[in-house]
Amino acid sequence: MTKPMVRIHDVATDEIIDREMTDAEFTQHKKRQQIAATQEAEAEAKATAKAVLLERLGITQDEANLLLS
Amino acid sequence: MAKQTFTTGQVLTAAQMTSLQQTAMGGGPATAKTASYVLVAADAGTTVAMNAAGSTTITVNTGLFAAGDTVFIQNLGAGACTVTAGTATVATAGSLILPQNDAGILYFTATGAAIFYDYIQVGAASPLTTKGDLYTYSTSDARLAVGANGTTLVADSAEATGLKWATASSGGMTLLSTTTLSGASTTISSIDQTYKDLKIVGKNIYGSGTGQFQLEFNGDTGNNYANSNVNGNGTTVSTTQEESAPYFVLGYHGSNNTFSKTTNFDITIPRYSETEYHPFNSDLTGYPTSLSVWIYYTSRLRWNNTAAITQLKFMTSSGTFSAGTIFIYGVK
Repeated sequence: MTKPMVRIHDVATDEIIDREMTDAEFTQHKKRQQIAATQEAEAEAKATAKAVLLERLGITQDEANLLLS
Repeated sequence: MAKQTFTTGQVLTAAQMTSLQQTAMGGGPATAKTASYVLVAADAGTTVAMNAAGSTTITVNTGLFAAGDTVFIQNLGAGACTVTAGTATVATAGSLILPQNDAGILYFTATGAAIFYDYIQVGAASPLTTKGDLYTYSTSDARLAVGANGTTLVADSAEATGLKWATASSGGMTLLSTTTLSGASTTISSIDQTYKDLKIVGKNIYGSGTGQFQLEFNGDTGNNYANSNVNGNGTTVSTTQEESAPYFVLGYHGSNNTFSKTTNFDITIPRYSETEYHPFNSDLTGYPTSLSVWIYYTSRLRWNNTAAITQLKFMTSSGTFSAGTIFIYGVK
């Protein structure tokens, strides 16, 4: 399986290397992707819960903002 | 007339008397030279006239002259003529270099020691030779040649004249590097440690999809990244807070390459090269394509690691970076 590419720019020498991720980097990359996916799912769930609550209260987002301002 | 050894009863000719008179009055016939010359004993009491287009020397050796002897040296040519100590010593309060139309008297105080009385004395003679030269002083007047284009004159007590030309120090902020984002991550390493603060500017960033725009320092994958974030889209405002994340989330980028919908950010890291915890601010505007709305993220971040920051790694949680430029500035 081809691993994603990474770029490394050594600004002291201005050398730029484009290469595939190492195994360790790829493992770390997948871990970060999982964390990000979890965070996005949580944010989406929060947004959904918010929408459900607004609907239950029968008010719009703008009205909710007005109440909280 | 060259120095003579007169004998009792010797009769001088009219020509000899005329020459003696001229020599006594500081004139007299000159021995013309057109190339570097080494004085000989017969030069005592005469005039040596150098006349050459290029630089020449007149060398003074010991054992040829007696105390009280003199040699009048004049330079008629365009090339500088330098009175040079060979095996004799030559002292002067002026200069041993005779420019065109300068002259001086070499006066022997001993057979191996002479004083050169330069007619154009220090203060009257300019050491300047070339466009841009500066008239300076060390233990005597000295020339400081013009520096390279763009350099400025600075005081430096280690220099003979106390002055030198040096590259002008730049203003408060210096662009250290420009990096184009590529791949799933782009690492910027070997960051100059000689500045106080770092200012990092990211422009026109987008990727193959919508993803988190993440930042990691020095390859630290530990849970050492704290983040208090406020974000809003013009209608709603949200906050997030993480005390021990494995990287910073600065915000989101989208996949839209329209200039107005790319991600842009601005970070200032104070005291980045010091070995203490690193709190700093970040402002980022992104356009997550999946949400089709602008989101502004302002964050107070802290790297809970006391190492000096030498490396930045920008990462995306989705696909790869399609474009984006990171400018790093050092602030004095």
